[in-house]
Amino acid sequence: MNDVSQGAQHVISRLMRESLVDKQVIAGTEAPVRAILPNLNVIQIGGLSIMDRGHTALLPLLDEIVQNQEKYTQVVGVGPGVRARHILSVGLDLGLPTGALATLAAKSSAQNAYMVSCLLANHGFVYLEAPFIVQLLPAMLAAARGAVFNGIPPYDLWEHPPAVGKIPPHGSDAGSYLVGEVFGARSIILLKDVDGVYDADPKSHPGAKLISEISAADLLAMKLETLPVEPVVLDLITRAKLAKQIRIVNGLVPGNLSRALAGEPVGTLIHA
Amino acid sequence: MTGNEMLTELGKRLVSGSLSDMALQRATDATPNVAILPWANVVKIGGQSIMDRGRAAVGPVVDEIVANLPRHKMILGTGAGTRARHVYSLAIDLGLPVGVLTVLGTAVAWQNAQMLHYLMAKHGIAFLEPEGFASLPHYLMERGAVICQGMPPYKLWEGNPLVGRIPPQRTDTGCFLIAEVFGARKMIFVKDEDGLFTADPKKDKGATHIPRISVQDLLQRDLDDLVVERAVLELMLRARNISEIQFVNGLKPGQLTAALDGEPVGTVIYNAQMVGRA
Repeated sequence: MNDVSQGAQHVISRLMRESLVDKQVIAGTEAPVRAILPNLNVIQIGGLSIMDRGHTALLPLLDEIVQNQEKYTQVVGVGPGVRARHILSVGLDLGLPTGALATLAAKSSAQNAYMVSCLLANHGFVYLEAPFIVQLLPAMLAAARGAVFNGIPPYDLWEHPPAVGKIPPHGSDAGSYLVGEVFGARSIILLKDVDGVYDADPKSHPGAKLISEISAADLLAMKLETLPVEPVVLDLITRAKLAKQIRIVNGLVPGNLSRALAGEPVGTLIHA
Repeated sequence: MTGNEMLTELGKRLVSGSLSDMALQRATDATPNVAILPWANVVKIGGQSIMDRGRAAVGPVVDEIVANLPRHKMILGTGAGTRARHVYSLAIDLGLPVGVLTVLGTAVAWQNAQMLHYLMAKHGIAFLEPEGFASLPHYLMERGAVICQGMPPYKLWEGNPLVGRIPPQRTDTGCFLIAEVFGARKMIFVKDEDGLFTADPKKDKGATHIPRISVQDLLQRDLDDLVVERAVLELMLRARNISEIQFVNGLKPGQLTAALDGEPVGTVIYNAQMVGRA
């Protein structure tokens, strides 16, 4: 050890001089987490499943969000849909890496979120980009009557390469879930075009059964070939500190969102 | 549908199928890999290990980077260090979630990047925020290096760690992912040790140096402490472009230059499954 190695100028803290990679140091940081916005409800509107269907699917859903505005604080994440699929197709054909694909796809969900915010504008909803979620969400919710955000998290070029293939693993389900987790939201509701999670793909297996409640670990262990939710969300739920459940409901069925907000057993509940 | 005629076969499946479909994900494997900046080297300057030591450590590292400007193009990312440890301790004590700790830690890496920028400004070296990365090729071509803060821009969207409360993806991970997405020539971590040891050499005098090890072997050893964030090792297994990362001692002049020149100084961690590929 040479002389200069002792020369770091430290700020005194419990973690001073510690390796933040050391397992014991990491384990020693376990402690309770406070919910920052415990009254928040995160509602995710699917891209392909809802947005791409246009007004027949979206407008009744937005009406239902507005009906619930008095009773519940709602922030709305929006997925990208078919335009993201298209740019993934072109981007993959060009040989672009996952981080570039994630950056490109995030613009499609930003467009969808912006459209939703326009449709909710006269009810006092605002559109917030990621930096404004970080800085302004509490103030906006105090002043405004709800917020709409881009469901895809701001991972951009820093998106993880997936275990298999090149499709960015953190899509709008993951982004909306993580907003719920970091603020300690009351509920996280993913609105899709299926009634929930089935024990097989209902599109190819007519006898598939709806699962009303399941743990994320059990669902992962079933190794289903397709899921109505990004698989990474299931991993995130197993590590949840605050947001220990999500509900997947059919947003094409009127009343489902209200029932989910009220905590009624609709769709599929996935818990930690 | 006639509108789909321009799509590739894979594209037709992408616009109609579920992205969580494993068969579809496997099909995306068979697409080409473009290296966006194949001549760029990502160099991470440690926070606690280099920046917190002040002039005694930072001065020689800056001199060495400047000396390499004519020969190597470098994306310089900074670590966070002792102020991050303080703010993490405080924020954990206050009950704040991991995403908030990431926002706080990012500010510390940013401070270090700014300081490095002030020291290198007279050589024309710019500092770039993640939002400014589109200008990065220009600065690299014109000036040979750029400075960025090392944290990935996950902010409140950082996932929880498996154990504890410290953000699992910090500046090692952020710099590694920059190297991976750009298909960089090298990923070099500048720290205050000669690389990887069998235990923390600051605490265990019997620790022995490991000059070269596969990431598979390293993960299997399940060491209590490591020279790099575990997330980097896990991401190495999935990386398509970066097949090895190198750790050098920034307190020993010449090691960074040797690593940039392709010499096996410090420790190299390599992906055994990528050897001979590409």
